[in-house]
Amino acid sequence: MASERVLYVEGIHTFYGAIEALKGISLEVHQGEIVTLIGSNGAGKTTTLRSINGLNHPRRGSIVFEGNDITRTPAHEIVKSGISQSPEGRKLFPRMTVSENLEMGAFQRTDRLETKDDMDRVFSLFPRLAERKSQKAGTLSGGEQQMCAIGRALMARPKLLLLDEPSMGLAPILVERIFAIIKEINDQGTPILLVEQNAMMALDVASRGYVLETGTVALADDAKALLRNEQVRKTYLGETD
Amino acid sequence: MKEADLVSEAHVQPIRARRDFGAHASQALGILLVLVVLVWLGVNLVKSPNDFGSVFLVGVSQGALYALVALGYTLVYGILELINFAHGDVFMLGGMITASLVVQLFGLGENPGFGILIAALLVSLAAAIAGCALLNAGIERIAYKPLRGAPRLAPLITAIGVSFILQNVAIIWKGTRPVSVPVSEFSAGHGGQLFKVGQVVYTADRLFVLAVTVPVLVGLIWLVKFTRAGKAMRATAQDKDAAAMMGIDVDRTISFTFLLAGGLAGVGGVIFAFYSTEIGFSTGFTLGLFAFTAAVLGGIGNLPGAVLGALLIGLIQNFNEGLAWHSPGSKWTQSLVFAILILILVFRPQGLLGERTPEGG
Ligand SMILES: Nc1ncnc2c1ncn2[C@@H]1O[C@H](COP(=O)(O)OP(=O)(O)OP(=O)(O)O)[C@@H](O)[C@H]1O
Ligand SMILES: [Mg+2]
Repeated sequence: MASERVLYVEGIHTFYGAIEALKGISLEVHQGEIVTLIGSNGAGKTTTLRSINGLNHPRRGSIVFEGNDITRTPAHEIVKSGISQSPEGRKLFPRMTVSENLEMGAFQRTDRLETKDDMDRVFSLFPRLAERKSQKAGTLSGGEQQMCAIGRALMARPKLLLLDEPSMGLAPILVERIFAIIKEINDQGTPILLVEQNAMMALDVASRGYVLETGTVALADDAKALLRNEQVRKTYLGETD
Repeated sequence: MKEADLVSEAHVQPIRARRDFGAHASQALGILLVLVVLVWLGVNLVKSPNDFGSVFLVGVSQGALYALVALGYTLVYGILELINFAHGDVFMLGGMITASLVVQLFGLGENPGFGILIAALLVSLAAAIAGCALLNAGIERIAYKPLRGAPRLAPLITAIGVSFILQNVAIIWKGTRPVSVPVSEFSAGHGGQLFKVGQVVYTADRLFVLAVTVPVLVGLIWLVKFTRAGKAMRATAQDKDAAAMMGIDVDRTISFTFLLAGGLAGVGGVIFAFYSTEIGFSTGFTLGLFAFTAAVLGGIGNLPGAVLGALLIGLIQNFNEGLAWHSPGSKWTQSLVFAILILILVFRPQGLLGERTPEGG
């Protein structure tokens, strides 16, 4: 990879109380890339994202974003520096409308007019959201909520987008659609760090991938190589020999 | 989820039938109760419409005062799911600040002029708003913030402790006997009739309650609905992690909420001091419980709900104490209000306007 390194996570250890959820994770994301994190339940994927976005600061190790150390930066300032996220479980504001949720995504921005343009862009990516824009987010279907969560993250106009299991709980046809949109967002220039249970689809759109196991990086390779890796095929793609 | 419901349905059929019967019975009882109350109100209205009208107006004024305090409970509950039992005492200290200013700064005694009363009112408002806002935010910072993430009982018990501390502060400051706020000429009897609705006289004291409260309530709703700070509050109330991800400083938003709630309690304290012309260290406890009941009645966490609940409590109290024909009288007011609290908690815990969600908005 000759391209510029956007995010560099180096040897982070993150705890929940006394529980060490991450035991020295290192990874990087380069300009223009989709990088995927896969691994079984409880491997530490969500915790890795929460370390990056400032909700759980690591006790050791460092996180550098665009050359700035953000290891200890509070979550609300990290968004301003350009990292936004569609979190696990979507975490929409249930009693706000779709439009209000999207507006919240742009909360820290000051450029009103461009915010409006971005809202239109989100509506063109997800026409379904445009139809539902006055509906309370808490009453959307699972798929619509996922679209709203991704749209809200885009409203921050991120320089790095974190997605935590965007395909969770969606019908196969919607999963395809979400992945197509992830690709489209990336083609428009936003690097993405993608956490997925659906390893096959994730490795398919990603350029590189990391396999996490109980808080450590077990494998790191090009996505195509991981797709061919026998261990990955067995554990995460559900193949038997 | 769906499937589990279907499976369990078969087994709980008899229990459900019984619950349906219970629900119907209590519904019928509720309707009967409402009918009795309506008939009682109707008879009173017909027998002496003028008295009824003035009792109604007093009830609305008192309800507006309760609303100021109830909103503080509901704002804080909405954002932290904490019942801030110290809130009534913050309100009481606002009243004490007012008493001090009126007596010591303005030296008001018998028959103060109208102009100096207005000046005392404005200065008291400024001082009590600032004092109570900072006090409330300080309490949050010192007593509640370190307990964030602790089991919910911990901050609740702390809040009760803070309530006692504030009452003791008031005792040390003012003693155990209620202090008087000599502004009564402003109101009862003296204030003269300002306007008449039919035969009903509306006097200055009641008018000033509404003149202060209504703009404050409108301002609050506007702030929460339309300003950036208000959006940050609503987002934080609905999901703190998500709010932080949007770039909202959650700690600052919580501090701001306590400032706001404290400021409202300060306004309430001033109004109470001017309105009832007497305030004691335990005033906040009693009035706080009434306001809390109002917040629960409207749906705790729900701002319009708190106002509605407060107006209802104010009306209920004054109908109970003031109507001529068969009213139970003031010795029943507390029992009545707490009976309402219990009934609401049992039969409609989400309140009149609340949704069935853990946190309000
Ligand atoms: N709030 C918490 N308190 C205590 N332990 C936690 C907490 N959140 C996560 N953990 C633990 O940290 C470890 C990593 O969890 P994490 O949520 O990061 O896993 P994950 O890879 O995202 O899993 P999944 O695929 O199920 O979402 C797990 O062992 C989990 O039990
Ligand atoms: Mg996870």
